[in-house]
Amino acid sequence: MRFTASALLACGAALLGGCGHTPGYPPNPILRPTAVTDFATLYSQNCAACHGANGQNGPSIDLANPEYQALVDDATLRKWISGGMPGTEMPAFAESQGGMLTDAQVNALIAGMRRQWSRPDAFGGTAPPAYAQTAVGDPHRGEASYEAHCAICHAATHEQGHEQVTSPMYLALVGDQALRTIMIAGRPDIGQPDWRHDGPGGKAGVPLSTQDVDDIGTYLASLRTMGQQVTTGTSSAQAKSAAPAGR
Amino acid sequence: MPRVSPPHGQEPVRGGPGTAKRVYAWFEQRLQLEGPVKDAALHPVPRSTASWWYVFGSAAFTLLLLQIVTGVLLALVYVPSAGEAWSSLNVLNHQIPLGWFLRALHGWGSNFMVAIVLIHMAQVFLFGAYKFPRELTWILGVFLLLMTLGMAFTGQVLRFDQDAYWGLGIGASILSRVPFIGGGLVHLLLGGPIIAGATLSRFFALHVFIIPGALLVFALLHIWMVLKLGINDWPMPGRLVRRATYMEEYNRLAHEDGIPFIPGAFWKDLAFSGAILAAVAVCAYVLGPFGPSGQPDPSIIQTVPKPDFFFLWIYTVLSYLPPEMETPFILIAPLIGIAILLAIPFWAGEGEKSWHRRPVAVLAVSTIAICFAVLTQLGTSTPWSPHMSAWSGDPIPVRYLQTATPLVRQGAVVFQAKQCRNCHSIGGAGGERGPALDDVATRMTLDQMRFKVVSGGGNMPAYGKNLSAAEIEALVSFLETLHPANEPPAYDASRRAVDESRSQPNAGAPPANPAANRGTNP
Amino acid sequence: MSQEEQPLGGGGTQSASAPGSGDAARHDDPRIVSRRWLLFKAAVGLNGLVGIVLAVPVFRYLLAPWRKDSSYDSWVSLGPIDSFPMAETRLAFYKNPSANSWDGQTDNVACYVRHAGGNQFQVFAINCAHLGCPVRWFPQSQLFMCPCHGGVYYADGSRAAGPPERGLFTYNWKVVSGELHIDAGQMPTLSNSAKLVKISLGQGDCSCRA
Repeated sequence: MRFTASALLACGAALLGGCGHTPGYPPNPILRPTAVTDFATLYSQNCAACHGANGQNGPSIDLANPEYQALVDDATLRKWISGGMPGTEMPAFAESQGGMLTDAQVNALIAGMRRQWSRPDAFGGTAPPAYAQTAVGDPHRGEASYEAHCAICHAATHEQGHEQVTSPMYLALVGDQALRTIMIAGRPDIGQPDWRHDGPGGKAGVPLSTQDVDDIGTYLASLRTMGQQVTTGTSSAQAKSAAPAGR
Repeated sequence: MPRVSPPHGQEPVRGGPGTAKRVYAWFEQRLQLEGPVKDAALHPVPRSTASWWYVFGSAAFTLLLLQIVTGVLLALVYVPSAGEAWSSLNVLNHQIPLGWFLRALHGWGSNFMVAIVLIHMAQVFLFGAYKFPRELTWILGVFLLLMTLGMAFTGQVLRFDQDAYWGLGIGASILSRVPFIGGGLVHLLLGGPIIAGATLSRFFALHVFIIPGALLVFALLHIWMVLKLGINDWPMPGRLVRRATYMEEYNRLAHEDGIPFIPGAFWKDLAFSGAILAAVAVCAYVLGPFGPSGQPDPSIIQTVPKPDFFFLWIYTVLSYLPPEMETPFILIAPLIGIAILLAIPFWAGEGEKSWHRRPVAVLAVSTIAICFAVLTQLGTSTPWSPHMSAWSGDPIPVRYLQTATPLVRQGAVVFQAKQCRNCHSIGGAGGERGPALDDVATRMTLDQMRFKVVSGGGNMPAYGKNLSAAEIEALVSFLETLHPANEPPAYDASRRAVDESRSQPNAGAPPANPAANRGTNP
Repeated sequence: MSQEEQPLGGGGTQSASAPGSGDAARHDDPRIVSRRWLLFKAAVGLNGLVGIVLAVPVFRYLLAPWRKDSSYDSWVSLGPIDSFPMAETRLAFYKNPSANSWDGQTDNVACYVRHAGGNQFQVFAINCAHLGCPVRWFPQSQLFMCPCHGGVYYADGSRAAGPPERGLFTYNWKVVSGELHIDAGQMPTLSNSAKLVKISLGQGDCSCRA
């Protein structure tokens, strides 16, 4: 009897005090939402929906692309995250812009992305075209470049029309900078090439020059403007008939 | 100190059991409890009442004692101040050795107590124990139930976190609907104009002094009546309760076919109470304490408040009531419910006790139990609540994007960025307020989807003013891809004729995917 | 007095009558009995009177929070109007005017300010008009959504969907020397805020776009 009692006591003491792995031990106090600076938490709550669970395979650009990480500097990333990206659906996340994240959290996101997804020498020694467009491109030259480099996949009259990017509907939702970023960095997660491999057969060797990128960007922007001129009305019938006008 | 002679003139014996006996006698001489206690312990009860069905009342009382003990222990550390309560709970959880276990015991004890009280009530009802002469026992029991629920709610408030804060807000909003005096009642409930320090202080007084005091007194009276009126005899079909003859019949049953309460019936109570206490301890050890969730700061709006388990069903009811029914229902229904419970022993104070011959009673209890289970289950999953971070946190399933055109991809972005996901799930993630959209294309044509998005309808807001033409087109072309591979999307026959006449080169069979068709318009 | 000092352990009921056994008849004298009852009733009455006198301050104390709305409300500043960009809805905070030092974080009250254009504002309570849960503003879809029971409101505060019977509660506001002030101080509920501006069921007729 006495043995049983002392055994029970020992068990109780071991269960409750002895080991640190008690299943019921409560988790740490919940932080204020603005005090969360863990990258994984912040990313999965704020970015994963559009940019994909691990920075890839989302509908929006793949942040896990090392070339993207190398192309965009911290200040620019901070600008897009804080204030949103004009011409796209990327919303403003900073508190000062009506979002929910503090500056520290935005910085934590940037630092986390760098830590997780950037690689040294992402471009393999080749200098990519500049991230931001500085010179005004020529739309006519751009059209020619588009036909030469892009149309093999993104033909406006492509049989299945799967890869059409010249539709004003599409262009109205993707800003100039976003188009340019995809042209340069590509989207490896869905098998789309970077600027070095844009072209027939995706062969390396004839990379897009900065001027090509400028021109194609200007050409696409001009298609967007033409589309908008036709689709001033919001009726969907008009919007639909506008599609051919863009081409 | 004057020496008091022993009551029976025995000579005191030094040491051994004699000392114990002497001390006992010294106390008994002054307390004189032996008689009443012996009477209570050894009073005969009908043999049939020594049943495992009759253990819930004593278990509820045991849990009440557990709650008192653990509550007092927690009060040694807890700070009932709006500014400090939350931190003191975290100190209990993390800095006081086994403070978390005490909190868990108190929290699980509360859940067990509500559950056992409800089971006890259902059992008493089904066994007809509320009938003559035990009407008042039942009525006190109804108040004990209300006070137990009151303790559960005020206890949730003392766990002063975001759930407590917004739970109080819901309580205040309900009270504010009382005609004429609603505003004053809200002020009384909150102790001021807003949920703040005064609110926590008065809920502390309610939870620690007022309700437990009343609860203990009522519980003791309840038990007193059980002792005086006897434990309900096991109901036999056909043995009817009549005011004129019942007492005599019961006494005969107790004395002729009776056993002493202790140990005959009481050992089962003791065993069950012990088992319940052990169950509480195991739950506390394995599942841990409840909360606290985030800090009770109303400026933190990233919160999804939720009531404790036994109030989830109310949460469900409040979300499903049509707006015009709401105020009358939440103000009147509880009063009617309590009135019915109180009226039961007067409505059916005599007659049949056995559940075998009381189909309405059985039906009522099972209906209530099923409703409670269903409503609680719904309250757990809250399909009516938008998922506030689904739009930015739930990724689009990769399989929905594998063959997506650029426009469809942008449509998926619009779907997320415009918070559609907060109410509509795809791939099993997202809100359930609206229908899941995994196969929406089989239910609606392109035009129907476009119309629904623009003008809303039912519980869907109209998005026409907030989406550009391009956004709408992208969105519906994404939605149009949401259909099972083996099931083509819905297609409007008249639309088909128009499209065919317009695209002469492609005339013939309609394309399998109208989105592709739109893309290749000449 | 002697009746109360019973010997320990003795049969109380037996010894009670012992001291007065000589004149037992006097105990039954109806005059004496009625006099004792009279004194008893007088004592009860005295206690009742004192009780009533004491109850008045007790009730006054208990009902202290039951005050007119106007005694709680006062004008508080939400900051300069420049901090609310045109055509946007922003979260703003203020400290509840009737705060106690021990309120902790609970007197940080949030509200939504919509700069509708020019010098026109709308200030919405954070509390859903249904049961007071905190609604969240989504600028992308121009909707307020409630996490509790799924109430949804348009940008102008009118009801869009869900169980609320009316639009969001609004505060009265004024601009004083470049700062936006609102008349606040209570948790907005149907009993106090329904008297303020009542927004009818809307159809999302808001002119703004993000």
